[in-house]
Amino acid sequence: MKILTTVKKVVDVELNIHIKDGAIVEDGLQYVINAWDENAVEACVQLKENSNAETTLVSIGGGDNTDIIRKCYAMGIDKGIHIDDPALEKADSFVFARVLQKVYEKGDYDLVITGKQAQDTDSGQTGIILAEYLKVPCVSNVISIEVTDDQHIKVSRLGDAGTEIVELELPAVVTVSDSINEPRLPAMRGIMMAKKKKIDVMDLAALGTSYDEVAGVDLTSEVVEFMASESRGAGQKFEGDAAQITAKVVDLLANEAKVL
Amino acid sequence: MAKILVIADIKQGVLKGSTAELLSKARALGAQTAVVAIGSNIESLTPDLANAGSDTQYIADDPGLELFSAGPWASCVVDAARQFEADLIWFGFSESGKAVAPRVAAQLSCACATEIIDVELDGGQIQITRPAIANKVMQKVKVNTPQLVAVVRAGAFEADPDITGTENIVKLSPPPPDVKAVIKELLSDASGEIDLADADIVVSVGRGARDQSGIDLVKELANDLKAGFGSSRAMVDSGLMPHNKQVGQTGKVVAPTLYVALGISGAIQHLAGMNGSKVILAVNKDPEAPIFNVADYGIVGDLFEVVPILREEIKKLS
Repeated sequence: MKILTTVKKVVDVELNIHIKDGAIVEDGLQYVINAWDENAVEACVQLKENSNAETTLVSIGGGDNTDIIRKCYAMGIDKGIHIDDPALEKADSFVFARVLQKVYEKGDYDLVITGKQAQDTDSGQTGIILAEYLKVPCVSNVISIEVTDDQHIKVSRLGDAGTEIVELELPAVVTVSDSINEPRLPAMRGIMMAKKKKIDVMDLAALGTSYDEVAGVDLTSEVVEFMASESRGAGQKFEGDAAQITAKVVDLLANEAKVL
Repeated sequence: MAKILVIADIKQGVLKGSTAELLSKARALGAQTAVVAIGSNIESLTPDLANAGSDTQYIADDPGLELFSAGPWASCVVDAARQFEADLIWFGFSESGKAVAPRVAAQLSCACATEIIDVELDGGQIQITRPAIANKVMQKVKVNTPQLVAVVRAGAFEADPDITGTENIVKLSPPPPDVKAVIKELLSDASGEIDLADADIVVSVGRGARDQSGIDLVKELANDLKAGFGSSRAMVDSGLMPHNKQVGQTGKVVAPTLYVALGISGAIQHLAGMNGSKVILAVNKDPEAPIFNVADYGIVGDLFEVVPILREEIKKLS
């Protein structure tokens, strides 16, 4: 089985983000592998270990993605492709999905595993749109993957009414929740080996396409302004005798906030 | 006049509140409204669908649509959107909405936005506002297509109780099943439990509860308050709480009138799932816990000591 997984380099959400003149202040930001993609990589590596899958990752984005690709190598991914093209700087989910479609079509994959969303946009669309373009089945928010035979996998998904068990015919796309696994910390041996591994870097032309082809006439949408989130701000905090302060807070909830 | 199609949020045969919230917003924008309802044995919901504020009800009612499946759901929405000639297609915040919206957008070749909190219509130009980067920023997004498919964030719009609609049923022909993604089984969430997504009060438990005895204690408070019972990620990861109780960016996003966080430190992903709540009460031993930065009322203390007192004091109110 050949599996393709996607990893995106994104802003570290643990750090503070500042806005100036409608844009994010780049200074002081750090970039890391998207947390959900790390779950996707772990799911791939587990399928490699348990079902002899061959694993390839693709990372799209201008700039240096070497560090996150090497990290995935150290976790156990076999091959890495970096689509590095400045034209993709403003790409939306539809454009990413078109680029991924091109990568997929070159590789004869049986399964695509993506994180369910990227922590920079929080959109959760690319994997699902990719499946539409490929005309293959797709399940999102997946929390387990089991290979049943050469042509099928069984996945469970957290849905609105409970856990849905779905049998998928391959090829297919699944997007995973962070509930699916706990990504491994790479061992030293893996980290050393990862340093020597080749990364296949290509631009859109080398991929056999062009920006006009993947983006169409116009982006479907574009961010025109960033704003700081309205902070709720801290309210009243009480310390001291538990009985006293708890009674006080219940009184405030009932008579000030009027929610009890 | 813009045309807005709202996807009815139906759970266990009941129409959920988000449908009226979205339709109220659509009417406030001066739009013509329709709703699409998908499921099995749902025709009896038509009066509810109209009362929620829709003037046309597209109904796909078929035994094959009893269990959720994203492919057929998308087909029904696309069918209704084309018949209605919808400009905006809105889903309430739900896992099914998040799964179906991008498919519909891909099929209609139009923009898609998730977790929107506001919409502006200026002539034919659509602009939306939504959070990004784990709620740390807001972004204004200009839509470049004449249509937009969107998933509306929980609690973003308020239902107007005075709004009502008219019955005008259009039956949709049932779509073929997705033979390549077959739902084999649904392991239902326990019935009779209060749904986190539309509970008025949510009580959530975190690591401060330590073990089952702490969970049981918090559960009793939740029962007293007839509240939805949620959890932090830490408690889910440790196996003490089920996945479907996780409140947070990757679990359930909730916006109740009162959110009670007990023994939850307040990781950014948790905050992103509950900071739309009207009032937040936090109880934590650590006075520096980040949860206090968003809490309207904070009690620094051990939940094992505080929760029994909370229960006593709340009982005195009634």
